[in-house]
Amino acid sequence: MTKAKSYSAQFLQWFHAETSIAPLVIFRIIFGLMMLASTVRFWAKGWIDSLFIQPDNFFHYYGFEWVKPMGEIGMYTVFVLLIISSLFIALGFFYRWATLLYFLLFTYVELIDITHYLNHYYFISLVAFIMCFLPAHRSLSVDICRKPSLALNKVPNWTIASIKFQLGLVYFFAGVAKLNYDWLFDAMPMSIWLQAKTHWPIIGTLFSEKWIAYSFSWMGCVFDLTVVFFLLSKRCRPIAYLALVIFHIVTGIMFPIGMFPWIMILATLIFFSADFHQKIIVFIQSRLRLKERESIEYNSLFLHGFKKKVLTGFLLTYVFFQMVFPFRYMLYPGNLFWTEQGYRFSWRVMLIEKAGTAFFYVTDPITGQRGEVDNSQFLTTTQEKMMATQPDLILQYAHIIKQEVESRGLENPIINAEVYVTLNGSRSMLFIDPKVNLAELEVGLKHKDWILDF
Amino acid sequence: MKRFIPIVFIVFALLSLGSCCTKGPDDEVEYSDLFDNIANNMIVPRYAEFQSDLGALEMSLNAFDASDVSSLSLIQSQFKEAYLSWQSVSVFEFGPAAEYSALLRTNCNTFPTNPSRIEENIEAEEYNLAFPSNYGAKGLPALDYLLFHSNQSDLLIELSDSSRMLYIQDCLADMQGKVDEVVDAWDSFRSTFVGSEGNDQNSSLSLLFNQFLYDYEKLKRDKFALPAGFATQFGIPLDADTTVVEGRFSKMSFQLIQANLVSLENIYLGVGEDGVDGVGIFEKLKEYNAQSTVVDGDLAIAVQEQFSICKQVISQFTNDLPFEIIHNISEVQATSNQLQKLVPMIKNDMRSYLSVTVTLTDSDGD
Repeated sequence: MTKAKSYSAQFLQWFHAETSIAPLVIFRIIFGLMMLASTVRFWAKGWIDSLFIQPDNFFHYYGFEWVKPMGEIGMYTVFVLLIISSLFIALGFFYRWATLLYFLLFTYVELIDITHYLNHYYFISLVAFIMCFLPAHRSLSVDICRKPSLALNKVPNWTIASIKFQLGLVYFFAGVAKLNYDWLFDAMPMSIWLQAKTHWPIIGTLFSEKWIAYSFSWMGCVFDLTVVFFLLSKRCRPIAYLALVIFHIVTGIMFPIGMFPWIMILATLIFFSADFHQKIIVFIQSRLRLKERESIEYNSLFLHGFKKKVLTGFLLTYVFFQMVFPFRYMLYPGNLFWTEQGYRFSWRVMLIEKAGTAFFYVTDPITGQRGEVDNSQFLTTTQEKMMATQPDLILQYAHIIKQEVESRGLENPIINAEVYVTLNGSRSMLFIDPKVNLAELEVGLKHKDWILDF
Repeated sequence: MKRFIPIVFIVFALLSLGSCCTKGPDDEVEYSDLFDNIANNMIVPRYAEFQSDLGALEMSLNAFDASDVSSLSLIQSQFKEAYLSWQSVSVFEFGPAAEYSALLRTNCNTFPTNPSRIEENIEAEEYNLAFPSNYGAKGLPALDYLLFHSNQSDLLIELSDSSRMLYIQDCLADMQGKVDEVVDAWDSFRSTFVGSEGNDQNSSLSLLFNQFLYDYEKLKRDKFALPAGFATQFGIPLDADTTVVEGRFSKMSFQLIQANLVSLENIYLGVGEDGVDGVGIFEKLKEYNAQSTVVDGDLAIAVQEQFSICKQVISQFTNDLPFEIIHNISEVQATSNQLQKLVPMIKNDMRSYLSVTVTLTDSDGD
């Protein structure tokens, strides 16, 4: 008991002890620039229009039904502000406002339509949230040119540790998610993905070999579970980082995962020593002919007494939530990959291969007349595809149809769906009870007993 | 620090390697044989065929003689030829055909057509066929009405009215202008199409697959389910309405559906207009050893067989679709069920194996 107490005391002491600001500053610059690149890319691909302006209907996150897109001018304005704020983050210019604005706008954009949910967007929202509280602008920034008294050399350990924690969590939980029968003992869906790459020159022929699929699966799993611990160890760090770079480049080439690999490769530089980052800072300073700033004597970041307790409590609560939330799926019966109840926000990255076809039918309760819905009259192809494999979205779509039908004068329509889903190459099976009237069901977090067994 | 320097170098070397490889040559070879076959042996000759059928229709219209019923019969049969060959190009609504100035599907085949609007236009002798309000009063469905809505002797009298004949010729010229434009544009678009890499939303793979699926779903809904009363409009179940059928007046609904189906099947199998069986989607699925999740066994074969079944059930009808809807709805329903079966094969299986990104954005796995 006393030993545990002394460990936790030691930990808390380390938690608030001082360390160099250098890694945090470099992380700020990398984060700002990567967000800038991501936003410009998003714009250049025409996604602002196709995702937020073109669709007639949007799928909402539970509890965030009030989040709506703002029309053409509004959405482009949001993206202009995202570009400006990410640039300001990189420059450390009005950093507090820039991070807050970036966090709010980025999260707003993500909340508009759940069909575009990506773990990596969730990750960016969380990091942006954490960044709002970090003193990442107090060295090598425009802010300290404006206000030299802000300059700092030292920050408490928790500032950098919180970013490392968030990064490590992504890998570790992605690894935990891979600890399932299909992934490890069936090499699924890796076999399917590799099968589609067999035309690749030279290595392509290997991809149809079962043992390759197994090794990829197992290597991916072991990598995800362990990489963060090796990155933390000074001795293993170089080799772990090399493995990380190779891992991300390979997945980046093989899968359409956009900016994610590049963001992770650069973000994980934060695991390197203060010395390493200091060299980069010195290099940048010499290039830009910047003077090194004198750090102020009194550092208000190191808290005492009650404030320190509040901060510790806040951080520990955050950590606890992050560790527990991915396990909420245990509250639901059935196969997680099939029902996807408690699937999101849990770092389940590139884990399953699922495809579905959904036929929706509306029946007039009085005449009994029944007809198939033309999904393209309501949804974009992307929305339709995502909806067809996710029960909560199937229900939302039924309600979208109901609303439209009732606005056109047909009250209390009966809405059924015949949905065929294939998971990890399984037989396409009926996904939900085709007899259940979806129009009558309520949206919620309760177990959806109308999902058929896998 | 010194130890890290080589690593940083390696990292950046790999990064630059990685960024060049993402655009890499890999995807380029993947489908170029398919695109090549489709462009050279389907798209180009099919448009040429449609273009020449429209030309033949024009000639027969110029040769119209109100006192000679055979000249009307010739016009009617040339029209039918043209409408059938339209079915083989409707699926190519991307690239040149999807340009705003062409929009072939809208300009050539908006049905059901609007007879009262057509009559108003003819009456007024003043109309602009380029106006969207006239989409429902031109194209092949308008000609279908003008050339078939009455018996031949009445039509002979009607067509001797010069303003009526002029309207028909204007509708035809409107289509010819668009088709000429598309044919010309394909001269230069062909290399873009064949050389397209990757699978993003503007890649040939995406365009072709999505239009293949779209054309099939349009066939299933607009040409079949809508007139039969199996469909909804904005969610409202609709009554059977035989007047919305394609080719309503010429009573060629099933022939048109069959021609559309054959055109899709040939793209799937890779059969060119010269009858040579080249590289199609079938061959690609075979290459991947794709397995169907909808039925047992090989996906390539499963889709091929379902196409055959659909063609066969449609060929069993002896009358046109409106008649069968009224007198034989259970067979029509059974046919609709067969058409439906192909949809999950395309959406669940074919889409996965071809790795078509219907999803416009990045994914992290689903």
